Amino acid sequence: MTSDKARYWLLALPALAVMAIFYIWPLVNIWAISVTEPVPGFGNYVQGAESQAVTTSFVITFRVAALTTVFCVILGYICAYAIANTIRRAKPLLIALVLLPFWVSVLIRSFSWIVLLGRSGIVNDALRDVGVIERPLRLMHNEFGVVLAMVHVMLPFAVLPLLANMRGISPAYTDAARGLGASELTAFRLVYLPQTLPGIGSAALLVFVLSLGFYITPALLGGGRVLMVSEYITYQIQEFLNWGLGSALSVALLVATALVLVIAGRFLNLKNALLERS
Amino acid sequence: MSHDNDFKRDLAEIAAHKLREGRITKRGFLQAMAALGVIPMAGLGGRAMAAPSELVIVNWGGTAADVIKEVLGDTYKEATGIDVVIDGSGPSAGRIRAMVESGAVVWDVCDSGPGSAIILGEAGVTEPMNYDIIDRTKMMEGTDWEYGAGNYVYSYVLAYNPKLSEGGVPTSWADVFDTKNFPGMRTFRKAVRGMLECATMAQGVPLAEVYDVLSTEDGIDAAIEQFRKIRENVIVWGSGSESQNLFLQEEVVMGNIWSTRAHLLKDEMDEGTFAVSFDGGVMSPGTWVVPKGNPAGAEEAMKFIAFAQDPALQVKWFELIGSAPINPAAAPLVPESMSRWNPTSPENVATQILYNDEWYAANQIAAEEKYVNALIN
Repeated sequence: MTSDKARYWLLALPALAVMAIFYIWPLVNIWAISVTEPVPGFGNYVQGAESQAVTTSFVITFRVAALTTVFCVILGYICAYAIANTIRRAKPLLIALVLLPFWVSVLIRSFSWIVLLGRSGIVNDALRDVGVIERPLRLMHNEFGVVLAMVHVMLPFAVLPLLANMRGISPAYTDAARGLGASELTAFRLVYLPQTLPGIGSAALLVFVLSLGFYITPALLGGGRVLMVSEYITYQIQEFLNWGLGSALSVALLVATALVLVIAGRFLNLKNALLERS
Repeated sequence: MSHDNDFKRDLAEIAAHKLREGRITKRGFLQAMAALGVIPMAGLGGRAMAAPSELVIVNWGGTAADVIKEVLGDTYKEATGIDVVIDGSGPSAGRIRAMVESGAVVWDVCDSGPGSAIILGEAGVTEPMNYDIIDRTKMMEGTDWEYGAGNYVYSYVLAYNPKLSEGGVPTSWADVFDTKNFPGMRTFRKAVRGMLECATMAQGVPLAEVYDVLSTEDGIDAAIEQFRKIRENVIVWGSGSESQNLFLQEEVVMGNIWSTRAHLLKDEMDEGTFAVSFDGGVMSPGTWVVPKGNPAGAEEAMKFIAFAQDPALQVKWFELIGSAPINPAAAPLVPESMSRWNPTSPENVATQILYNDEWYAANQIAAEEKYVNALIN
């Protein structure tokens, strides 16, 4: 038994080595820089905590991530539900459509939103041409544009875990509830929905955690006023060569993300939520 | 400038920083530089010798590299027989220092800025300018630094779209900061460079007193407050091309952008949809610097810098890329139609101030934090 175990570990070794060299070690260095530059100590963390700009940036980051998560889970749930339950023949096509955006770079998808949402972009021009509006709406360079584009980018990350979860649910349960006289809505609410809670949990967690560290979309569509932490870090390092504060902020973001996972772990079975496969 | 170049440049700067602090050995530093492709491996053995009949001029790449080649390189070859090689890889202060400290200098003359020129001179890695060869009278007053000679000028200027501006044409910074009478979006730079000056002028401070006012805490706070007031109408630009796009896509009505980008916009936008006011502009000079131990020798480098002071060449440079002549004698040679777009025409110089590097060295980081806070909080 033990030799079997050792053999499995051996298989994982190359991947572990790559992680250790290219991820863990640089990460340790970042931690080290955050407490050693420009002077040893926790000065960078104190500076960050005292800076209104930094704390506001964290608030913005969590707010945008939370909004993105809520919309992604709602839209993703509907989408996954449709794929899993209603349409049978079109299933492969629908799954392909969900996956398709992964083949286009986030940068290009974000630029497409600029073309759509600009002051003289497609949406504004169309609305004006049909006479709905007189002057262009402000659809980007604000939080609305950022959340809209981020929901688009993150949606597949919500659909896929939900779909995996829903495919494992036997239709027999809902059929039985209907057979016993429950209305369609009641059957969904009392029988189907509770079974998809793990899927909702893992979708929400995945989208939220990815959104926290998101960089490109907010930087392009935020107009500088939706300053998320990741952009603030870039700003510290590129503009001021301030590696100390930049590193401290990234450590703080990492710790905050870990805290989210710990708190989520109290309410849902993380092992099931993240590793569940039907 | 490709992203990869930016990245390498940044890494080179960091490595040089670590070397200074004794975190890595010189050997390790050179290996790191070679691995990054910053220093050619062949240059590591001994001194990399450019042929004595050749000068290596370094700038930031792109169109500007072609323009230097055409305007200065080919003419210099004609005049002196010395070949001019243009290297567009970006002579940041960090890279110049790294190159000199490594002992493998392959650059002769670099396109830098006053801030970097002062820092590099103090670090002892660049040659002092020889003003017996370079003519002080052929450069704008105040741009003859000990370790750097002014080479061209760009300005932070008020640019606007008269067609989109509902409140009429903005004529001063006060109008730009007045969103009631001049509705619409504005653009300002993401960082404070060149921005606090206009916010100070908007409060009615005369040109000559702008940096005096900004040298007090209250002065900085008052300027920052101007941005806080209008932040709902602000979109920031991070790179020059971004500022250009904001005008092209009609996202903004007015803003504070580089005159070099305005120079491109005047040709790209329809007649009557783009204009610039140099009233209250901030002129920012570029400088030539010469790395210590440059292959062609300091004197050859100085001769080239003196050659580039020729007013006719500077006008040509301006026409091609929008970097304005630093030689006051060049202004009359600028064609009539382009004169009003020239940051260094006598009329425009009279209404602008010179970018103050000492102020930025002392105040930038503190001001930067307040600026970001005012925009997002």
